Amino acid sequence: MTEVSLRSLVKRYGKTEALKGISLNVRHGEFVSLLGPSGCGKSTTLKCIAGFEETSDGQILFDDRDISRKLPEDRDIGMVFQSYALFPHMTVAQNLAFGLEMRRLQKREITERVGRAMEMVQLTPYAERYPKALSGGQQQRVALARALVIEPKILLLDEPLANLDAKLRDEMRGFIRDLQKRVGITTIYVTHDQGEAMTMSDRVVVMFDGEIAQAAAPEDVYDKPASERVARFVGNANILELPVRTNDEAGVELGLPGGLSLTIQRPVPAANGTLGVMARPEQIALTDPAAGHLRGRISKRYFSGGHVEYHVETDLGPLVVLAPTSQSAKEGESVGLDFDASRLWPLPGRTGSAESRA
Amino acid sequence: MRRFRASLLILPAAALIFLFIVLPYVTVLVMSFRAPGANGEPYGPGFGLQGYAQFFDEGYYLWSLPQSLLLGIVTTFVCLVLAYPIALHIAGARRRWRGLLYGIVLSPLLIGIVIRSYGWTILLGNSGVINSTLRDLGLIQRPLPLMYNDFGVVLALSHVFLPFMVLPLLSALQSMDPAVKQAARSLGARPFTIFRRVTFPVSMPGVQTGCILVFVLAISSYVTPALVGGMRVKTTTLLVVDALIDQFQWPFGSAMALILAVSAGVIVLIFARLTAMKWN
Repeated sequence: MTEVSLRSLVKRYGKTEALKGISLNVRHGEFVSLLGPSGCGKSTTLKCIAGFEETSDGQILFDDRDISRKLPEDRDIGMVFQSYALFPHMTVAQNLAFGLEMRRLQKREITERVGRAMEMVQLTPYAERYPKALSGGQQQRVALARALVIEPKILLLDEPLANLDAKLRDEMRGFIRDLQKRVGITTIYVTHDQGEAMTMSDRVVVMFDGEIAQAAAPEDVYDKPASERVARFVGNANILELPVRTNDEAGVELGLPGGLSLTIQRPVPAANGTLGVMARPEQIALTDPAAGHLRGRISKRYFSGGHVEYHVETDLGPLVVLAPTSQSAKEGESVGLDFDASRLWPLPGRTGSAESRA
Repeated sequence: MRRFRASLLILPAAALIFLFIVLPYVTVLVMSFRAPGANGEPYGPGFGLQGYAQFFDEGYYLWSLPQSLLLGIVTTFVCLVLAYPIALHIAGARRRWRGLLYGIVLSPLLIGIVIRSYGWTILLGNSGVINSTLRDLGLIQRPLPLMYNDFGVVLALSHVFLPFMVLPLLSALQSMDPAVKQAARSLGARPFTIFRRVTFPVSMPGVQTGCILVFVLAISSYVTPALVGGMRVKTTTLLVVDALIDQFQWPFGSAMALILAVSAGVIVLIFARLTAMKWN
């Protein structure tokens, strides 16, 4: 088991900085996702760790040993690619054996380990098939087994589920997660899909513009985003900019239209003027038009099975509300909105700002 | 009905192929079984196997066949060895250079075959550029035999047919997922191992196509062996033309042409069988 440390990693392409000083510690056996929009530097970070990109500055350590100048073939990594990158001219068994042959293991040991790896990903009946004769999910499992059979120090996954259809993707999430736990390997996973990152990871690292915006447990990234941008990228976010009435150690009282107020019972330093707060759609409840913190009119209604998503026009702008199907309202109906004040999250960076809503 | 009408679209092409490929072949086939002509006639009345018999009886003709096939095989091999690094280089080149490199690769095809072959005689001849330069430098006393032999013919043929090898190789290499090589590296393979165990085998469809193209073109070439070989390298194609036009023996010439075509076909089939890819 290996610990990975990135220390002020910088990657420049000519004059543009793709990575602007990334620092991150990944613990033994931890599953960390790098999450962000395309061009945020998540793939570049992974390529630097794998060695396919040379770092311009900073260090990459595997268990306190700097490997940033080592060639990829000497880093002892297992990597799974978005395109799977299987060797098309080799059977499943030959694909798995390749890395072991490079390590000059005995034939008997290779056969044994390949056999075990195929069992692990439930591909034993397909040993003699060529990749072309396998489905996407099966190819994905071959790629995973090929990366793990060499018992690498760390496992790197580059958007491995992007080419699968939705149902298979959900299945593979659980499969990869279980396998990773069973093997106990330190894993870094790159994705632009926030759902994927949240369900699979011990920790999510949100990246924008070559920098880490937040690195925290999935729950914390969702409930306590470090910035408005993180809030909006990870799930659906309603962001309200409300005037601060009072602010002391006990909490912040925020003004609402119609003389109502909301109190966040948590001290927010330097909150004067206005404060931006985030409410997730499921943290707002529909109530009687007369009750609740805010009044509004339903402009759109989307049924999605377990929940209904409402788009509500309010004096504070359009808000999105996710309600259970048991609580039904029609388009055009007037409703009241009730906030769960204990889960409202103040957004640093929006504090006291006078700029208009994004 | 729709499908039937759509298939009518291939009629013009089918007619062309029938008129100008199938029919002539049938004519050649029939002609090869005709009796030899006498008194300046190209062929005589009735049918016979004399055309084939003459080829197998006379060593002069018979030996031209292995000679031609060997020439084709060597040219193919030379092209493969020369073309592979070129294709690798172009596949890895930046996009804006690629067009220029493509142009350079295709350039031998832009020059007429006679002029190109004549160009080689200027370079390779006994008093040609290479020999006279070497003599002036005092490196040789007598001219090196660069022309009028197999060496010169293979050299000139490889020059023309190189693009037919480079292009299929290039397309095979370019259609290869670059992540496959990275995967091999991540598994611990070094550059030469990656070439031997991944890049080359994955490019086999291109190797196969290129080799078949060059081989077929090389054994059926006429002008280059005629000019650069100076009639001293006896290929079967040269003898076919000689029989048809100079000796005016159509059955014999046709028989020889068919024997060459069938032999080439057999070699191509054996090659395809040997290099068959189960995975593709």
